[in-house]
Amino acid sequence: MDRNQTCVKLSVEPSRALMDEKILVLVQNGSPGSQLTIHALHRCEDGHHWEAFAHYTTDATGTVNVSQDPSLGGTYSGVEPMGLLWSLRPVPGSKPGLRMRKKDVQIPMEVRISVYRGHWTEGFLDRTPLAGVVVERWYVAPGVQRIPVTENSLTATLFLPPGSGPFPAIIDLYGGGGQLIEYRAALLASRGFAALALDYLTPKVTKETGKVVKNDYFEKAYQFLQNHPQVLGHRIAMLGLSFGTTITLKMAAYSEVIKLSCAVCIGGSHVQPVDGSVEEGLQFIHRNVAKAHFSERNEVITKDLFLPLTTDPSLRVDMGRIRCPLLLIVGEDDQSWPAYESAAHIKLMMERAGNDHLLTVLSYPDAGHLIEPPYLPHFRSSFYKSVGIAQKFMALWGGQTVEHCRAQEDSWRKLLLFLREHLYGRSTSVLRSHL
Amino acid sequence: MFRAFLTATKIQTRIGIKEKPCLNLHGNLPSFQCALGKNQVRRKSSIRQAPLLTASPVRALMDEQICIKGRFLPPLSPITVYAQMHSEDGDLWESFAHYNTNSSGSINLTSDHSVGGSYVGCEPMGLFWGLHPAPGQREGLRLRKNNVESPYTIHISLLEGHISPRAGQVTELAAVTTERWYMAPGERRIEIRQNGIVGTLFLPPGPGPFPAMLDLFGMVGGLLEHRSALLASRGYASLSLAYFGHKDLPGPEKCINVGDSYFKKAFHFLQDHSQIDGDRIGVTGVSFGAYLTLRIGIQIGVKPSCLICINGPIGSVSKLVDESGRTENFESDQKHWTFDDQGRVSFRKVSLPSNIPAKNKVKVENLTCPLMYIVGEDDLGASSLETADLMEETLRSAGKSHLFTRLSYPGAGHFIEPPYAPNERMSLWSIKPQKLMSIWGGHPAPHAAAQEDSWKKILDFLESNLRR
Repeated sequence: MDRNQTCVKLSVEPSRALMDEKILVLVQNGSPGSQLTIHALHRCEDGHHWEAFAHYTTDATGTVNVSQDPSLGGTYSGVEPMGLLWSLRPVPGSKPGLRMRKKDVQIPMEVRISVYRGHWTEGFLDRTPLAGVVVERWYVAPGVQRIPVTENSLTATLFLPPGSGPFPAIIDLYGGGGQLIEYRAALLASRGFAALALDYLTPKVTKETGKVVKNDYFEKAYQFLQNHPQVLGHRIAMLGLSFGTTITLKMAAYSEVIKLSCAVCIGGSHVQPVDGSVEEGLQFIHRNVAKAHFSERNEVITKDLFLPLTTDPSLRVDMGRIRCPLLLIVGEDDQSWPAYESAAHIKLMMERAGNDHLLTVLSYPDAGHLIEPPYLPHFRSSFYKSVGIAQKFMALWGGQTVEHCRAQEDSWRKLLLFLREHLYGRSTSVLRSHL
Repeated sequence: MFRAFLTATKIQTRIGIKEKPCLNLHGNLPSFQCALGKNQVRRKSSIRQAPLLTASPVRALMDEQICIKGRFLPPLSPITVYAQMHSEDGDLWESFAHYNTNSSGSINLTSDHSVGGSYVGCEPMGLFWGLHPAPGQREGLRLRKNNVESPYTIHISLLEGHISPRAGQVTELAAVTTERWYMAPGERRIEIRQNGIVGTLFLPPGPGPFPAMLDLFGMVGGLLEHRSALLASRGYASLSLAYFGHKDLPGPEKCINVGDSYFKKAFHFLQDHSQIDGDRIGVTGVSFGAYLTLRIGIQIGVKPSCLICINGPIGSVSKLVDESGRTENFESDQKHWTFDDQGRVSFRKVSLPSNIPAKNKVKVENLTCPLMYIVGEDDLGASSLETADLMEETLRSAGKSHLFTRLSYPGAGHFIEPPYAPNERMSLWSIKPQKLMSIWGGHPAPHAAAQEDSWKKILDFLESNLRR
């Protein structure tokens, strides 16, 4: 019996973690100065396999510590404690344009991490590893409740943190692909916020009547939260990505009903018809779709739909009307929306209006459009079905993998601090008096 | 708080200023900001960041320490941390501890000191090993997980002030739910019913081959899987083996009806397993299982790589029926049972070496592999100290001291288990012919320390003997 096989110890801690938590990968009892490949394998809910791998050399004690030692090559290089997760990519031979998105957030993502003798770049499934472990990555913390919401024609899911509450809340909006996307809201609930994942492009009411929802749909969502016994009705925020930003800025600036404690906008723009609602916003995009062009790999670039940024005030949100703290998260290599250019213009508008003290911009060079929770893999493009466009197409999101993944990690941490600061109140302060 | 509410309302009606309710720190009672116009009073805002309670990692293995922190609490203030969980039988277990926040309004159970409650002092895992049945639960309970494939769910909350959770109205400031698992992801649980063997095999994730353990409990009988499950989460294949009090074993009841050949078969089962390294198998046992460990290791013709015995006798305390180790009814001979003034039975003297016939004793001098013997010095279930002394002396005379490691823990009782599970100083032994409680010994804090330290040393011992 090969001594090495019995002796080599692979440990990953914690073996069960939340999606935004770091892991420590350690190989011990290997031969000193020997070549090892650490491999990660994940089977998605849709059946596709994703993998990552990195080449290491054990030190004099026969140890590899992924948090401290450099990868000499593979799907990532250098010292990257979380590289085995964020550099996951579809295995060779997979369909092009795949995207990893968790549908059932109540069961964890399972990743099998193995260590092989030698430096390999392929054929992992045909070899026997020296050791292997399984790690679970969870979107929900224990005790988080998942509550489907259908009242008042809403199509939504409410996630509540454990405990009696009441909790501040966040309305969580994804973008033009529609569907009820729950994973970010689930993770926010695991971090102490009631979170409402809201489907506003493909809700039941739209599927049944063919009618696109109007602004009152979001106001109803807000009122649902206000009335909920476990929600602090006066501490509600909105978080939107892509077209979700369009909605968030419109509500923050113009809604008489929605009074946000703060807002977060990722990868979006303030350029949209001021009048009207979702349908007008979508039509505006479709009107300009001729401006979209193709990369040399035939990926669709839509950012230029809005460039140059319009000077027509009826086509952009009056940012001077914003009354709550606003966090903009921008990938400077965003190929889908002109988030970078929009952020610059937003800043200008708010400086002129005198409310720029409310604005924080996090801008990441070489990050793309889809700035998601950390350690999710980056892909420069994927097959995309936009609501209102009949055909699926390969959308270019942009971003360079390493920088994009750093942006996800950094922005999530700052997003949570921002939300905590504005939803859970400030440090003890003396109240202004109306003197 | 209530008085302030009334005052604010009075002023409010007088000058008609619209109030904005602000953060509910204490449940339903809003604290009002008072903007008093010309009537000068400036009140300090009660807006504060709401308390946050975190546990990391929130899903952990049963033997993992976790870090529990509270933040954004009032500075230099009394708070209570309260843990509660339901056992598989539906009993409520709870623990609590009193802390004082520091000047930043934080507490950290890894470094702060409890000033009262289920434990005192700096005890990072005190909420777990300090769990006890809530008042009103059935008597004599022991916390045992039958289904090791699901976790314990423990809800931890921060309460205002130094209170007992039973004291009526409590205000929850923050909460977190933790899970504690016996099995690691990817670990496999396989029921074994072959060749007469009754057991459960746990295999670590990965291809193997793995070093392995044969795991034996005591005269409580049945099939206890939790230690094997944990060993496998640490990379050792482990077989929990039943030998007494299990429906799949031959009768009659209360006797051990399997002998040396049974244990030999179990050992060979491990040796022959394709995912187990047959040259790296150890045996461990607690209580009567410790005696069986010695017997397996020394006199039945198999060669384990190491042995770990916890609080067990050097020989069979029950009369042997035959040479192969089968015994008579454990309760037929009660002359060495002792009773305290509350009628609780201690089995300690039963296993006093001087009470065990010589032919029933294992010939420890024939030991050929490393042996670790773990003693709880307050063990009231077995004569562990005397047994350890005898073993040490026997091995010294045989020139085999180098094989012997002794761990001794003051204040620890009979059931030295993997860490952070509560110890029960006594438990319900039987209900017929009348209710009988047995006393096992062990005081909470030293017993918990013994479990934590001994488990580390057990894992190191296995690392040295089964992996190098």
